[in-house]
Amino acid sequence: MSLRAEALTLGYRDRRVIDALDLDLPRGGMTTILGPNGCGKSTLLRALARLIAPRSGQVTLDGRNIHALPSRALAREMAILPQSPLAPDGITVGDLVKRGRTPWRGFLAPWNDRDAAACTEALAAVALLDLADRPLDELSGGQRQRAWIALVLAQQAQVLLLDEPTTFLDLVHQMDVLTLLRQRNRDTGLTVISVLHDLNLAARFSDTLVLLGPDGLVATGNPQEVLTPDRLMTAFGLRAQIAADPVAGSPMVIPL
Amino acid sequence: MRGGVILTALLFAAVLVAVLIGQVDIGMAELWQGLITGEGPGALILDTIRGPRVATAVGAGAVLGLSGVIFQTLLRNPLAAPDIMGFTSGAGLAVVAATALGVALPMPLIAACGGLAAAVLVALLSWRRDAATPPLMLILVGLGVGFAASALTTFSMTLLPSEVAADAQRWMTGSLAARDWRHVAQVWGLGLILGLVTFGQLQALTALELGSDLAAGLGLNVERARWGLAGTGVLLAAVGVAVAGPIPFVALMAGPFSARLTGARTLGGRLAGAIAAGALITVLADLVARAALSGIQLPVGVMTGLIGAPYLLWRLSREMERGEL
Repeated sequence: MSLRAEALTLGYRDRRVIDALDLDLPRGGMTTILGPNGCGKSTLLRALARLIAPRSGQVTLDGRNIHALPSRALAREMAILPQSPLAPDGITVGDLVKRGRTPWRGFLAPWNDRDAAACTEALAAVALLDLADRPLDELSGGQRQRAWIALVLAQQAQVLLLDEPTTFLDLVHQMDVLTLLRQRNRDTGLTVISVLHDLNLAARFSDTLVLLGPDGLVATGNPQEVLTPDRLMTAFGLRAQIAADPVAGSPMVIPL
Repeated sequence: MRGGVILTALLFAAVLVAVLIGQVDIGMAELWQGLITGEGPGALILDTIRGPRVATAVGAGAVLGLSGVIFQTLLRNPLAAPDIMGFTSGAGLAVVAATALGVALPMPLIAACGGLAAAVLVALLSWRRDAATPPLMLILVGLGVGFAASALTTFSMTLLPSEVAADAQRWMTGSLAARDWRHVAQVWGLGLILGLVTFGQLQALTALELGSDLAAGLGLNVERARWGLAGTGVLLAAVGVAVAGPIPFVALMAGPFSARLTGARTLGGRLAGAIAAGALITVLADLVARAALSGIQLPVGVMTGLIGAPYLLWRLSREMERGEL
């Protein structure tokens, strides 16, 4: 039961970004993909989400090649929040979240109780029930990001991929979003796979880290295994020391 | 909701006034008598003089309005309309060229081929290998294709015998003169089918509004959905062009006008609003075009052009201020 990359090679035109990568991301875990800019983090996430086709190799979900699955069936199992989704003009939070039900709704199928329940539950999970009738563009940046997360939660897929979900947020809201995802992961067994920039937050909120460097995969495993001085040197060219986070106990990167 | 009622009421009122007023005005009583008995001036107006004309105006305006809002939603740009992007000019060229060459196929089919050819040409010319085409580029390329099509249409007209050329010239402005019930059946029948096809794709368009990545994540086959919607939009515009000529700016104005009036939040509401607004604009424009100057019947396209051109300028300046251009 996992999302796997098998000999996955990705690239644009003549540039090879990821070369023959093997990865096994077990269900129920929280995984973060880390690495310097331009190393192919987002490309890898997009390939896992079937947004781009591999040059060679494949991505499998529980042993099935995701490119061989019907789009709608896959969308019921795997949800994606891209980095910059587009908000229709004047849309309310509630209407936005409703769109997460798309893969569950048949042609001309009426809105049913299950759809309504999924949306209410998703809004409750991100603490936006009270703001459901408000236009999205009146919300703060953090609330807006939570509304988008509610949309993909309403999709009720067991695997959720997020491309830099904290990028445009301040630290408080970054914590807010990651805590929310962790909570969801613990409560419902949701598999969360995201791309993040902040090493310390990633270490604190992840079961598994995937560290990419300029020449491909550097290491994968739990945060203690992955975040070591020599691996940070390989991936980022960064001289750093590792200490234990005094609050969470997770490894903390201290640049030298 | 209230805006929707107002829009519908306006449309009915416009249709009624358009039937009553013309070179010879009739009263409600005469119209009613004509409707009931099938005799008298009311019946003549209703059956042959203004009835088909107004019914064609409603149908043509409706399909153009729907086509416009499809492209505006698909490309997320209020300037993206089939009349701006050259699709209606392509359809118009096909009709004039077919007439010049003596091709005897149904008008809607010829117009559809022309519209689709223009759309494919725009897509090919603006296609990029490694990235999605920015909407603005599609619009500008479409503008160019539209001008080219218009130039070729003008050339085609020189090949026509002069009396046919005069008719064609008038038709190219967008004209509802001398429409009969066959035109009505054509635009309403095909419009209804394409309208249903559009509403069948409503879910896809709703997902596409969120951007292609999220739409794909929601289980949509993005490329197929885009082509399906664009194809439907081109065919809708072509059906309008086939019966009324390439009436300018109706497709451009209908969507934003109805959105402003109804404040519709759902996509279905916005599409329905654009249908009604397209019909309203066309009926009113035709009414003014034939009734404003006594003794002179202007083509409807002159009127929509007079309203549409300032609207386009205002829209352009607004988009520039917002940094969208």
